[in-house]
Amino acid sequence: MSDLVTLTHDNAISTMTINRADARNALSIDLLDEMHRAIDELANTDTHVLVLTGSGKAFCAGMDLKAVLIELSGDETLGEQLLTSLARFTLKLRALPKVVIASVNGAAVGGGCGLTCVCDVTISHTEAKLGFPEVDLGLCPAVIAPWVVRKLGPSVARRAMLMGGVMSGVEAHSIGLVDHLAPSREELGTLTDTVAQRLASGGPKALGTTKDLLNTLDGSLDESQLLRAAQLSASVLRTPEAQAALGARMNHTKG
Amino acid sequence: MSETLIQSDTSNSITTITLERPDKRNAMTPGMLDQLLSAIEAVDNDTRAVILQGSGPTFCAGFDLKMCANDPSGDTIRALLTGLSNCVRALRALPQPVVLSIHGAAVAGGCALLGGADIVVAHPETKLGYPVVKIGVSPAVSAPFLSASIPDGPTRALLMDPDLIRAQRALELGLIHELDEHTHDRALKIAQTLANKPIAGVRATKALCNEIGSPRTDHADNALRASLSGAGSEEERAMLGALWS
Repeated sequence: MSDLVTLTHDNAISTMTINRADARNALSIDLLDEMHRAIDELANTDTHVLVLTGSGKAFCAGMDLKAVLIELSGDETLGEQLLTSLARFTLKLRALPKVVIASVNGAAVGGGCGLTCVCDVTISHTEAKLGFPEVDLGLCPAVIAPWVVRKLGPSVARRAMLMGGVMSGVEAHSIGLVDHLAPSREELGTLTDTVAQRLASGGPKALGTTKDLLNTLDGSLDESQLLRAAQLSASVLRTPEAQAALGARMNHTKG
Repeated sequence: MSETLIQSDTSNSITTITLERPDKRNAMTPGMLDQLLSAIEAVDNDTRAVILQGSGPTFCAGFDLKMCANDPSGDTIRALLTGLSNCVRALRALPQPVVLSIHGAAVAGGCALLGGADIVVAHPETKLGYPVVKIGVSPAVSAPFLSASIPDGPTRALLMDPDLIRAQRALELGLIHELDEHTHDRALKIAQTLANKPIAGVRATKALCNEIGSPRTDHADNALRASLSGAGSEEERAMLGALWS
């Protein structure tokens, strides 16, 4: 196993850490492959709760720009591969019969913020930045939209995805994107432990059954909807307008 | 020559549509809704964001009830319900995002217009709701939009309880998105922000939200039929007439 993802276990609680701090934990094909593998491995353990977090300053900065910029990758199909892998990962994470907590240590942006919406509970802190800036880059957050709509409700999700940008942890908490808010970054770990311990005190079968029923009721395991959404994201990604905006962002980040 | 009840202006790629019947609290007439539908359908493809607002002291008090009461056949209310349903659907079908700016009252038909908006800014003193059961009219026409936007509990309360809710409560429910004293200025700011974003992503995102979050067309048709079924009924004539006695 490569070191892009770290999986640790402590009694009933497992922690999966995205370990690509130098790239703000951006989702690359290799990273997503490791994340898929980690979930498969977890399915065979008897932990009750999974905490998903990021190493370093960011939780997850979304799609790896290097992979989605055709000019850089020289491969027009890479974006769609990445988006499809993300769609399949979100399904796998949602179907995991354990309570999944997102412990948002820093920026959770675009696909990274979408990941938090797949989790059952999201914990963050006041200084974290969360949001869906896809439209600012000429993109459409299609692949994560079904999760955002379920988490926030259609009306609030519509505004969040159309307005783009990022919001503070405080605002994210006020619109329901974050369920538990720590007063500072330093206090996130303690709050995450408290909530994780409390969730882990539940019977694992009761938790798994409840989660399974909720997934059935909200229809969230509809694979075809997500794969269609991934293709829509990919088709907007290929437009010259989006490629130009992404290129400008890439140069801005470098400088 | 018919009176101008709807104003539409386009500048800097933003089309602003204004309800222009301020002396009647922008109460809707069939003619006004015809003009509103025409204004929505006339939005140019070069427009990048649309604002809908009301002029004068209030956004919109709903249907012109005096006009309805003067028409015992029920034809006026039928024309209003159909016109309203068409306007809400036309707003939602626009490729451009729609920013709604409300103040004073967004009541009954005025509140129903929220169903066509992507982002709603309200003055903190705004009151919202569907008190039309008091005049024997069913607000069913708004049910598909409400149940596709906010949870079932508040949807039922809003449609059956004729009481109005305050803007703060509407914000908590997710029915509106922002409170601002300077409602029109804020709506313009939001429209400018949207207009400055790359066009394809914004349009694809709105279309996707419509696909995931909007009521199906057959639901909207059923809802209109449900509201129409009571138009011109004895109950409605009696309750509407009682308003003016």
